[in-house]
Amino acid sequence: MNLFFQQIINGLTLGSIYGLVALGLTLVYGILHIPNFAHGALYMVGAFMSYFLMMDLGVHYWVAMAGSAAIVAILAVLCERLVFHPLRNSPPIHDKIAAIGILLFLEALVQMFWGADFRRLSSPFTGILNFDGLIIPEQRLLIIVGAFVLVAALQLFLRKTMIGATIIAMAQSRDGAFLVGIDANRVAMMTFAISGVLAAIAATLYAPINLVYPAMGHLVIMKAFVIIILGGMGSIPGAIAGGMIIGFAEAFGGFYISTAYKDIIAFGLLVVILSVRPQGLFAKGAH
Amino acid sequence: MTPKNTLKAVITATSLGLVATSAMAESINIGFTGPLSGGAALYGENTLSGLRMAAEEINAAGGFDLNGEQVTINLVALDDRYSPAQAATNAKRLKQDNGVSAIFVPHSGGVFALQDFNEKDDFLVMAYTSVPTVTEKGNTLTLRIPPTFDGYVRAFTDYAMNNLGTTLGMAGATHEYAKIWDEMIQQTWEARGGTVVADNPMDYNKSADFYTGVSRVIAENPDVMFVGGASEPTGLVIQQARQLGFQGGFIVMDQAKIDEVAQVAGGMDMVEGAVGVVPLSVYETEAATGFIERYQANYGKVPGSEAAYNYLALHALVEAMDMTESTDPTTVRAAIGEALLSMDSSKNPYEVHSVTENGGFVTVTTLAVVENGEIVRKEIE
Repeated sequence: MNLFFQQIINGLTLGSIYGLVALGLTLVYGILHIPNFAHGALYMVGAFMSYFLMMDLGVHYWVAMAGSAAIVAILAVLCERLVFHPLRNSPPIHDKIAAIGILLFLEALVQMFWGADFRRLSSPFTGILNFDGLIIPEQRLLIIVGAFVLVAALQLFLRKTMIGATIIAMAQSRDGAFLVGIDANRVAMMTFAISGVLAAIAATLYAPINLVYPAMGHLVIMKAFVIIILGGMGSIPGAIAGGMIIGFAEAFGGFYISTAYKDIIAFGLLVVILSVRPQGLFAKGAH
Repeated sequence: MTPKNTLKAVITATSLGLVATSAMAESINIGFTGPLSGGAALYGENTLSGLRMAAEEINAAGGFDLNGEQVTINLVALDDRYSPAQAATNAKRLKQDNGVSAIFVPHSGGVFALQDFNEKDDFLVMAYTSVPTVTEKGNTLTLRIPPTFDGYVRAFTDYAMNNLGTTLGMAGATHEYAKIWDEMIQQTWEARGGTVVADNPMDYNKSADFYTGVSRVIAENPDVMFVGGASEPTGLVIQQARQLGFQGGFIVMDQAKIDEVAQVAGGMDMVEGAVGVVPLSVYETEAATGFIERYQANYGKVPGSEAAYNYLALHALVEAMDMTESTDPTTVRAAIGEALLSMDSSKNPYEVHSVTENGGFVTVTTLAVVENGEIVRKEIE
């Protein structure tokens, strides 16, 4: 029975990280209709910024997380201002090429400064909880709790604040949003900033149990794209549900069937779900 | 072996031409194709660092004498992102544009790709891979730099069976090189009367987390776990195995180095009972310690075997060119054994002194085990 609960914990951990990364991706897509391939690079930069702040400046884990979130938010806004905004009237393919360009640029830049070495980010939460054989390292618990808190906070922000409401309005109808006088530039920058914050926090939460290196974004961004297609492009609940579905499919499929087949299970689910609901689990747009 | 990634497929592989500048008029080009970006970039950079260091040393001494002319070495490095196809393209380019007579390749897929045409195009493949078939195929212009791993498989199995237990849980990896290892170790283990209780390799290119895979192996209660891949992710696998309560020992595939693995896993205690190849840092010979010091002064970190082997191989290659007054691949290949003997011993950290008929450098192999928190070097019987 313990092994079963162990897989639930594994699924929750993976699902939380996937969900957080997918959330940022889906927000940007929902509002600007840009598939931001560079999102994985933002995630990677987030991990490196936390590493830099903790190792070189010696700040505490939480401070590093906040600092990294701020830096990546600014970086994401810069991407929007300098790259995506000037391309707003171009065909969609230009956005995609530009996004890939940013991805390559950021990866090369980080490799130039820090090299290709694998690094480890230490966190103050190194203990291991043992509930009668069910093993939960503290950092994994922190990931799960952190993801839930973050999702709740994002929901509150979108529902209860005026700025949040403008983001939802933009996602529901661009024309309608313009008609009531919503500033599209501000909403776009705000959305990119939020996606950057989510990516940086996800990376900082996950890095202590993984490795920090320039190509680290590839692993999660692939899954994040699957998740937002699964959950419905632009849908916030879709990103969270999709993240959990993929996380649990990997954990249970990997344990009870084989790790060699876990991707088949995850992608098989994608095929099944899309054939029943081609628009994704949750219809487009934030609800 | 190739990190398959749709994103990467979309992106046209950007080849990075790094040309070491040389003020001298006469220089000869030596080629390199290996992963310099993407997930395996560190490995590629490490192999290249050994070559760069050797080239810098040769050039700092004024180059070498080739038919009465002083020539320097110009290392031309291209990125292949670990892809055999890209390695082949790079090799064609290195041959046509730079006229190289030797190309260093640090992965078996790339080596096999180059062996399809290296005899016809007339260049030497300097293979940094321990896959035995690289030299068994009888390619006349191939030199294999490290020892083959089949000797390790037998030695590690014997040690583990005598000291650690008879049930084995396989938690290796899914890239090509690891698969060959995986198969050989399973066969050897069962041939010696042991049982393989679980076979669940990790996918280092697609898995974000190994907890699930590791817990599946541990659920079968093995005495020994087989792990391997690049040192760092291997360290994560070991750390997670210990977190999940695994008490046994590890057989570490030769790609991973125990000292680097321990750093990631959280200390030597975590890798207690591990058996693997001897990390360069444990060698106590003058040549090895001298190399480690010079490397640290250059790059600010402890070198691994990939830097040391490639370093000595380039020195040996240039020594052979110097001796034969030629850059012709066949001539150089024929003289490499003699060059290994006559080269300056400080340039030869592994003390390689001969080469087999099919082009394998002969290294005295030993194994390393972790006993009471320390890496101990043992003879292979």
